[in-house]
Amino acid sequence: MNDEELMTTVRESFTAVRSDTPVERIVSRSRAVRARRRIPGAAGLLAVTAGVAVAVVTLVPAGQATGHAAGQRAGAQLAAWTVVKQADGSVAVTIRELHDPAALQSRLRADGVPASVISGGQPNPCQRYPRGGGTPLLSRMVTAKPGTNYNVFFIHPAAIPKGAGVQFAASFKSQHGRGGSGVTVDPVTASQQCTGTGSGSGSGSG
Amino acid sequence: MGTQRLDFAEFYREARDDCLRTVLVSVGDRDTAQDLVDEAFARACASWRTVSRHPAPRAWVVRTALNVGVSRWRRRHREVPVADPGQVAGLAVAGGSGGTPAGPVDPPIMAALLRLPARQRQVIALRLFLDLDTTRTAEVLGVAPSTVKAHLARALAALRDDLIPSQRQEHPS
Repeated sequence: MNDEELMTTVRESFTAVRSDTPVERIVSRSRAVRARRRIPGAAGLLAVTAGVAVAVVTLVPAGQATGHAAGQRAGAQLAAWTVVKQADGSVAVTIRELHDPAALQSRLRADGVPASVISGGQPNPCQRYPRGGGTPLLSRMVTAKPGTNYNVFFIHPAAIPKGAGVQFAASFKSQHGRGGSGVTVDPVTASQQCTGTGSGSGSGSG
Repeated sequence: MGTQRLDFAEFYREARDDCLRTVLVSVGDRDTAQDLVDEAFARACASWRTVSRHPAPRAWVVRTALNVGVSRWRRRHREVPVADPGQVAGLAVAGGSGGTPAGPVDPPIMAALLRLPARQRQVIALRLFLDLDTTRTAEVLGVAPSTVKAHLARALAALRDDLIPSQRQEHPS
């Protein structure tokens, strides 16, 4: 038996081996293949979109973008946060880093929000409002924008009762003063030390 | 799009059996081979515009099926031991999954193939069922043409040693 005869023998022994998968099933499966390929693409698109959002939030001088910004020391300084007063009276706060909390606090107060902003490790001059609770109240005063990687809050000054305020606090802070993404928001009792307002002052003051 | 799909369907009908046989020789298990080939054809269909321009689309399918098999094996990170190649051959050819006859491969032949080293099996399968020449086989496997020739020669010698005595036993003169 030469090589050709041997190969013919082997080849012929497989003639009964046949694929039984209909082409329709293959075509259907190919759609799943395409879908699998699209997932990284979509993730990439999301990443690009997120990157653009980061660039807008951090690279555009916030004074041009929103009129309020922190981090104005040098040309390359990133905006740590932006404050935008909305047409409906709410105030949108985007916090990337709780950098220069005093500036953010001043800006919020200037926009009519009795606010306190503190960074990690800083003594808290405020007391919670009301004592022992406040979550339902907080949900009326401040809403968070869902689905973002940033801390985007909408403060509703009209929903802040007299004698109350809002406190933003970095949940941690590095030694270089760059607070992480952990920002907590709490209703606090308005006071001169806390929100710069007296306990009897109403919303929008400051 | 419709023309593309017709072209793919025609290609699939003509190539699926030979691709299945090639992969079956390489992996040794009928169900595994069927799944790998189906996946490879699905990928070919998903990229048909590219694959249809490939100089050897059948080889592309087989290469893809083998790559998928390797990837799966790596993910599982374990190998199923084969104690008796003849037994595997029997399983491999008995498992027609859908009613279409998957007639038995001659067990001594399948056993002899499975006793070959993996690379020799791939070389001889590509030559047997896809009729690839040495150069194309070398491209598909990513080896030198001289390596293909050596593997083919050794595989044929081993098969001859394995099969001719057994055939003589089956058909004594």
